[in-house]
Amino acid sequence: MRYNSITKKKWDKVILDLLSSHDVFAPVSSEHGHDYKYIAVSDIEAIVYNEPKPVTPLKNFFLPVKENVTGERIGERPRIIIGPPNCDVEALALLDEIYLGSDFNDIFYRKRRENTIIIGSDCIGKQEHCHCTSYGIRPYPTTIADLGLIIIEGIVYLRIITQKGEDFLNKIESSHECKEEEILSLIEREHSATEALLAETNKGLPDYKRTGEIVSLAGKEIWLKYSSKCVSCGACATICPTCSCFLLIDKPGFEKVKQLDACQYPGFERVAGGEDSLFRLHNRFRNRYMCKYIWKPQKFRPVACTGCGRCIDACIGKINKNELFMELARTAL
Amino acid sequence: MSGQRNIYKPLKARLTEVIEESPLIKTFVLIPEEDFSFSTGQFIELSVDGIGEAPFTPSSSPLIHDRLEVTVMKTGYVTEIMHNLIPGVFMGIRGPYGRGYPVERFFGKEVLILGGGCGLAPIRSLLYALEHVKDNLEKVILCYGSKTPADCIYKPLFNRLNSIDKFEAYRTVDKGDEEWVGPVGVAPTLLNNVSVNVTNSVAVVCGPPVMMKYGTLKILEMGYKDEQIYLSMEKNMSCGLGKCGHCMMGEFFVCKDGPVFTYNEIKDQPNIWD
Repeated sequence: MRYNSITKKKWDKVILDLLSSHDVFAPVSSEHGHDYKYIAVSDIEAIVYNEPKPVTPLKNFFLPVKENVTGERIGERPRIIIGPPNCDVEALALLDEIYLGSDFNDIFYRKRRENTIIIGSDCIGKQEHCHCTSYGIRPYPTTIADLGLIIIEGIVYLRIITQKGEDFLNKIESSHECKEEEILSLIEREHSATEALLAETNKGLPDYKRTGEIVSLAGKEIWLKYSSKCVSCGACATICPTCSCFLLIDKPGFEKVKQLDACQYPGFERVAGGEDSLFRLHNRFRNRYMCKYIWKPQKFRPVACTGCGRCIDACIGKINKNELFMELARTAL
Repeated sequence: MSGQRNIYKPLKARLTEVIEESPLIKTFVLIPEEDFSFSTGQFIELSVDGIGEAPFTPSSSPLIHDRLEVTVMKTGYVTEIMHNLIPGVFMGIRGPYGRGYPVERFFGKEVLILGGGCGLAPIRSLLYALEHVKDNLEKVILCYGSKTPADCIYKPLFNRLNSIDKFEAYRTVDKGDEEWVGPVGVAPTLLNNVSVNVTNSVAVVCGPPVMMKYGTLKILEMGYKDEQIYLSMEKNMSCGLGKCGHCMMGEFFVCKDGPVFTYNEIKDQPNIWD
């Protein structure tokens, strides 16, 4: 992997210069944790780097909660998103398959993808419920994002992932290729330390390659047990970096508004005649697991979960997906 | 938009005629602003401006491209408003979507069709398509049931079908009235009296979920294999593109992988009759 380096002070100047031509988003801290903010001049020094898991998943930059999908999009400036962790970046691989597939090319999603430079963040340490490595995902991006960023001792190191990322770096005169073995091994040690921490914390979780099998073997009792605390609020799906179901709402003039939806809401599959295959709460609860671990993998990539753990963070019923999987793994033995 | 068609934008179509088929069912005759092609069994999203859209399989012939007929049962919010529309307004059409009836796979065979209620709408389109290729078919048998004689749609269709070489059409009602002299019983009961060569035949079922379920079981009892039975499934198809998730039936998106499936394809999926 190739790296460029730049001092933090000069990097801040790079961002300042970019503000005139780009919309820049990056995480900053608040009392609710750290989350993306539209970066103004005064925010640059407050940008949080290498902290795992901003509150909002990256998907919302490409799939807004609500948008008119029949109107023209004009005057959108190019965007730079700094700071998404690899669990969110990897989720884009699935969203790309869904929204940029050969049979369905969503022009709104595509334009946003084309219009955005993603500077992913290497996670140093972990947040509660982070478990990306249990899904075979590293805590630092090596694909899909354009660059990967890690700051060590006041120096910003930018890992080159895509041509778009390289072209971006080539325009920054103050960045230089970094070939020093000592630095590169220091970065590797940071990566390994986070990976080891994640592996240690999540060592009871089943192999992700078996998740589909154990979900398919699960009986009704376990869905009834875990869904007994579910209130169908849909927070798990809303906050999930890969959940992307939506609703089309008609507006006058044959306009359509696309709004993110969730299979956890009552009536998601109800037809006009009243039939509703997801009428029962435990069926809706199970549906999300069947979708993520069996049906989506049959159609797209291996698993539709990247181990961010936000669904656990967000659940007001304190339903812990990882506890469910450990119980499923025990009973499937 | 880079010259690319916006998949969410409906094609406008002028409503030119509304035909009252039964107390709850009307056929909407539409002239699209540009020619519109579909394969029989595929569905469209038909919208009322500013109100909503719903999925329907056109009931007209797939051979006609400048005119479209959609038969709609008043059963929910959008369809109730549709039933109040009068000719002259513009409606919206998206599609066609999904996989229709594989008519060419029926060649050389007898086609047994079981329909109930408004399920005759997609079947009428199929019948037009089959009539067009009848030289390649052995026989076409339609068995149709409605709740009452008044609920039967396309009444003139039955005499017309019976006058076409190789076509037979039978009707039953769940409950007769003073004038009704035909069979009384649910649609699958008609299957007891049809003469069909099961081994060289396919069966098509379309109707309300309960009829689909018991009709399919009856057809299996007759000796049809799972892969000989074609079902037109109904779910909450919204985007029509296999993305919005509302019509997921196990691993399948009904809107994209269906709506026409063989029973063999879907029998192991959850809640197929709900």
